Amino acid sequence: MPEVSANGLRFNTQVIRHGDGASDGGAPAAPRPPVVMLHGLVIDNLSSWYYTLAHPLGLVADVHLYDLRGHGRSEMPATGYTVAENVDDLVALLDHWGITEPVHLFGNSFGGVVALALAHRHPERVASLFLIEAHFAVEGWGEHMAGSLALAAFGLDEDAVQDWLAENADRKLSRVARRSERFLTETSLIDDLQAEQPIEWLAEIACPTFAMYGSESDILDRARELETKVPGCELEIVPGSSHSLLTEESNLVRERALAWIERVASPGSSGPPTVGP
Amino acid sequence: MPETVTDQAVLAELDRILAEVIGDDLLLDGPLTMTTSFDADLQLESIEFVALAEKLLETYGQQVDFVAWMAGMELDQIIALTVGDVVSFVVGSLAHA
Repeated sequence: MPEVSANGLRFNTQVIRHGDGASDGGAPAAPRPPVVMLHGLVIDNLSSWYYTLAHPLGLVADVHLYDLRGHGRSEMPATGYTVAENVDDLVALLDHWGITEPVHLFGNSFGGVVALALAHRHPERVASLFLIEAHFAVEGWGEHMAGSLALAAFGLDEDAVQDWLAENADRKLSRVARRSERFLTETSLIDDLQAEQPIEWLAEIACPTFAMYGSESDILDRARELETKVPGCELEIVPGSSHSLLTEESNLVRERALAWIERVASPGSSGPPTVGP
Repeated sequence: MPETVTDQAVLAELDRILAEVIGDDLLLDGPLTMTTSFDADLQLESIEFVALAEKLLETYGQQVDFVAWMAGMELDQIIALTVGDVVSFVVGSLAHA
């Protein structure tokens, strides 16, 4: 069922696994690797995964999606939007889903930060990281997040929001805009994000990690930071793409994701893979 | 599920589900038809389409291979889906079930 209570909140969730329908002819299903996908901030929700990677991956893995607190159809509490609290939510949902083996995490933008933070706090629960435009706090983050720059920090600057709104017709616009405004003005989201400290533990990430960024991304410095500091991190820069890499290049990202899960989840695989994508 | 599920039956089920997912905010002049598009006509938010699909699977999930169907589509194709696309998929799946 899509609605789940975890960590004291109501979450909108989706589990996508092939074979729930009629197609598998009743044959016992082989064990499939567990995957959880974490989306980006404010105007994002689980649908960006649902429309891109969730079903292709669902053919070979058990894919778990949820709307982060405050997003999509999940509950919007007044407070609790730090990375650490988002990790608490993720742990509670892993427990709810009964996922005890290490999970393969996919994170987009802010979701990538939550994925990294779980891999740091509970390394025993994370098998691998697939990060798209992961956006984490670095030196000077607090000032960068101040005032109107708060949105720009997550690729939600005025131009990006206007472009996005222009592509979406009236009904959606009004509903999403209303919800986003409430999120930004009536919760502690901005304050919580602004208070995030630069991540100083990237070198401690122990699982295989793959990171993708667009060459035109405004946070390309994060790509270099991951490549330099996360042991064995593989980095791919996609020419001509922006922070919206997942939707701009969904076919390419889908190819990489399928190849990645085949490599890191295949029996006998251990340690960072050494073969390029 | 009987094998005689018709386009009209699935269309009616979609109509019911839409009312459930969107409620009074449903944006549609006239009846739901096979050519109604989820994006351009109904202006469904993507998260609402997800909820609609979930409810559809509650009705037909054991007979239709929705995951494989969605996996075979690109982002643009999913966004361009019409009511008729979904109805045809469900009816076709049930006919072969």
